[in-house]
Amino acid sequence: MAVTSVSPDMFEEIVMAEERFHGEGYQEGYAEGSHVGVVEGRRYGSLYGAKVGSEIGCYLGFALTWQCLLQKCTDEKNSKKIRALDSLIRMIQKFPYEDPTYDKLQEDLGKIRGKFKQVCSMLNVQSDFRISTESSSLTF
Amino acid sequence: MGRGQDWGRGCAVRRAVPAGPLWSCRAVLGEGHQRTVRRVAWSPCGNYLASASFDATTCIWKKQEDGFECITTLEGHENEVKSVAWAPSGTLLATCSRDKSVWVWEVDEEEEYECVSVLNSHTQDVKHVVWHPNQELLASASYDDTVKLYREEEDDWVCCATLEGHQSTVWSVAFDCSGERLASCSDDRTVRVWQRYRPGNQHGVACSGAEPTWKCVCNLSGYHTRTIYDVAWCHLTGALATACGDDAIRVFEEGTGGTEQEPSFSLAAHHLCVWRALVTLHCSASVLSTSVEAEPSLRKRPRVSFSRHMSLMARAVFPVSFLE
Repeated sequence: MAVTSVSPDMFEEIVMAEERFHGEGYQEGYAEGSHVGVVEGRRYGSLYGAKVGSEIGCYLGFALTWQCLLQKCTDEKNSKKIRALDSLIRMIQKFPYEDPTYDKLQEDLGKIRGKFKQVCSMLNVQSDFRISTESSSLTF
Repeated sequence: MGRGQDWGRGCAVRRAVPAGPLWSCRAVLGEGHQRTVRRVAWSPCGNYLASASFDATTCIWKKQEDGFECITTLEGHENEVKSVAWAPSGTLLATCSRDKSVWVWEVDEEEEYECVSVLNSHTQDVKHVVWHPNQELLASASYDDTVKLYREEEDDWVCCATLEGHQSTVWSVAFDCSGERLASCSDDRTVRVWQRYRPGNQHGVACSGAEPTWKCVCNLSGYHTRTIYDVAWCHLTGALATACGDDAIRVFEEGTGGTEQEPSFSLAAHHLCVWRALVTLHCSASVLSTSVEAEPSLRKRPRVSFSRHMSLMARAVFPVSFLE
């Protein structure tokens, strides 16, 4: 039987209508969803970035202040504290702020947080900066 | 000889001294903690006791003539401290917590404790920490299904190995006497034995750089019907004992059929005793001329440990021990 490619099957459109609408609907939905996702992701990213930035900034300010305070102390006991503070400052300064795709981002953040906790322990400071049980604590 | 015991809900550390066949309570240390005392550990020298508590602190008690005195409280963990362990050198202490971190502390001659590292390698609750028998190497077991190993590198502690393979929470780990093998027990009802391979080993096991690799050489599955909460490796006989939620203690011995790379462990004694609430059961089984004594547990989860020869210090023996 010869195939006539000129006139399309008039039943094709009717029979396949539902499937076609599904497909078109899916494509439209996918496109819209991607767009909304990008907008939401950007908003979330900037919020999270600000949170991480303020956390690390807090640790850096804290460490630099203590480094300044302990500058004059040269005894053995304080030398360990100074070494730990130097290590924390070095870790923070080495942290790649410009690159959110850095593969060791969470791992390095964990190391910085751990070093901060260790320094607080050595300096006898509460890591959440809570002065008394009633006052609020600093969290990120 | 001293012995520590965990009384669960009661916040007390009791020390008992054998007087003939009977034990008597010498001290009740009830003022140290505000919540459950989860673990106690004697220092290698025997003069100090560390107690880890759900109140997020670890107390260090010093033995005096008339009792014990709390000389330091180690703070820093954000929530429940699950385990504490002394390194064989006696100068290092490790604690781990539900806050997912492992802390390493150092003590000097003036009994001053200082935190030398906070390790955030695990992604979930850390259940147990254990030191290597003769090196400054630390192992931790976690709810994240892994065992991690840590060592000191240039003034700081780093995670040098992650042992993956368990399908669920790893509850406990134990080194063998040589320290070349590690046993881990899990909620997945298996015990895994891991072997250390150094770089350049003759078995062709690849290592990254200068770091040794730990490879799982044996997986004991099908023996336990519930979660395995504790494992102990006898340093004298090489036998492995497990504490399981199915109310049984099992002892495994390494058979002669296997090789170092593929050891075969077989069950030497099983169903040694059945736990029934508040009833004392005694049973004995001859396992390489040792006997087993069972005591009722106030908690649902049994623990096992091995005690050394009588002339050496006894480890914490809650609540099952092998008497040589």
